Amino acid sequence: MRSKHLYLVVCGLFFCSAVLVGCSKSDPNSGTGASAAGSKFLLTAEPQNAKGIKEARGSTQDAEEITVVGRIGGDTDPWVKGQAAFLVVDTALKPCNEKDDDACTTPWDYCCDSDTLPDNKAMVKFVDANGSTVATDARELLGVKELQTVVVQGKAKRDESGNLTVLATGIFVRN
Amino acid sequence: MLRLLPWEYGIRNLLRKPARSALTLVALATVVLLILVVVAFIRGLETSLATSGDSRTVLVYSIGAAADIENSSIPARTAGLLAASLEGVGEVFEQRLVSPELYIGTKVQTIPDGPGMFGIVRGVTPATPLLRKQVQMLEGNWPGPHEILVGKLSAAKLGCDPGELAIGMTIRFDNRDWTVSGRFAAGGAAFESEIWAPLESLQTALKRQDISLVAVGLAANADSSDVELFCKERIDLELQGVTESAYYAALQQHYQPVRMLGWVVVLLVAGAGIFAGLNTMYGAVVGRVRELSTLQAIGFRRRSIAISIIQEATLLSMAASLLAATIALFLVNGTAVRFTMGAFALRVDSLAILVGSSVGLLLGVAGAIPPAAKAMRYEITEGLKAI
Repeated sequence: MRSKHLYLVVCGLFFCSAVLVGCSKSDPNSGTGASAAGSKFLLTAEPQNAKGIKEARGSTQDAEEITVVGRIGGDTDPWVKGQAAFLVVDTALKPCNEKDDDACTTPWDYCCDSDTLPDNKAMVKFVDANGSTVATDARELLGVKELQTVVVQGKAKRDESGNLTVLATGIFVRN
Repeated sequence: MLRLLPWEYGIRNLLRKPARSALTLVALATVVLLILVVVAFIRGLETSLATSGDSRTVLVYSIGAAADIENSSIPARTAGLLAASLEGVGEVFEQRLVSPELYIGTKVQTIPDGPGMFGIVRGVTPATPLLRKQVQMLEGNWPGPHEILVGKLSAAKLGCDPGELAIGMTIRFDNRDWTVSGRFAAGGAAFESEIWAPLESLQTALKRQDISLVAVGLAANADSSDVELFCKERIDLELQGVTESAYYAALQQHYQPVRMLGWVVVLLVAGAGIFAGLNTMYGAVVGRVRELSTLQAIGFRRRSIAISIIQEATLLSMAASLLAATIALFLVNGTAVRFTMGAFALRVDSLAILVGSSVGLLLGVAGAIPPAAKAMRYEITEGLKAI
């Protein structure tokens, strides 16, 4: 009989703690599913004065320190398999599922804005101390997924065609 | 211990009514042959697409082309950019493994003023065969200006006589005459149904300066994701990089319904064959009720007689399978079949023979069990009086 009571108390405590954990306001960057190696890239607070992707493409110089905000997407597959790199799109563009009457199965490809997409898109690469791209898939390393809004800190890499790559050193996942 | 009927008894029985045995043999062989043809079709299609792709070769083409390189158009400078920007490009005989290619579907006339047929033409450079290691020259020379190489299955794709694509013959496409300078094989890959022309000549004929794709061969320490990363970084070029094996695997998915339909046909033909076999064996057993009862009367047990009947049917069905396999190997294997992407050869390979022979065995065993069971239900006295 005593053991039965003990069992009920333990179950009750477990239930209450689960409810409390579930209801508490969580830190957006905690529980993103980032790996141990990826946690060093996660920022605990959102950096201020982040530029939109379009603005950054227009004003950033090569090798300039930069903070950009964007949503992961811009391609049916915005990831690079086996590498910590992904495409981001300016938050001014809306993915297809946030537009009326659109049942797109891959809304993160922004196929409804294919004309303006190239000017609103940039690549984000997480680099190690040697400047090489980290050889772990970004989804696994950082626990991020398509259409999440991310604020990325790093160094801009520009080319003669106007493409922007952020050699990232930190990321804050807004949602 | 079970005393079985002698092995020769079954064989002699088959020879006792040679016409009936021969007809059954032909019927069973036809069923197995049909199955072999369908499986050879599926295997040919699968092999053609599977052997075309190399996981160490990455195809770089336009994002807008979706999954079809024929719709792709990218700047010709892409090849140079890739060669200069990527560290992991392989090298053979001091030649970098970067192959710019133009891939088009066009009407090809093999005889002057003929109606012409839809053919696949690829604009190539000397780097192309270094990347497509399956390619082997069968005869002739690498094409010069306004010359072409024809694949082993080009004639099948164009629906023309192979003689019309012999070395020295002239064919016409894109308002220009092209002379055949050689023939090549590609180990069953899709390239075998293509016509290869020098890239520059083809671009001149088409008045195009762009290309369809760049095939990049990876160095031993490189990974295909390096090419993928380059493509995604160069947003202005709107490129995508897909390993050749993944590209052809996607095409295999495209043809999945055809393959599924093929396997359904195999099942239906096998089912029909089993019923035909059942019918034949019922007829054969019912006509031998007196004989089977006599065997029981002289001391053979019902199980021994049933085994003998199954043995007869199995012998006949396996002989039919052998006959069908021989016909398939000599007459069906290698036959070219045209399809949208080119042509492929029917492949009567080990899997096709295994499936065909298994169905043959099934026809014999499953077709004989019910009639044998029925025969064993007769009482000896009734059976001996049967006409």
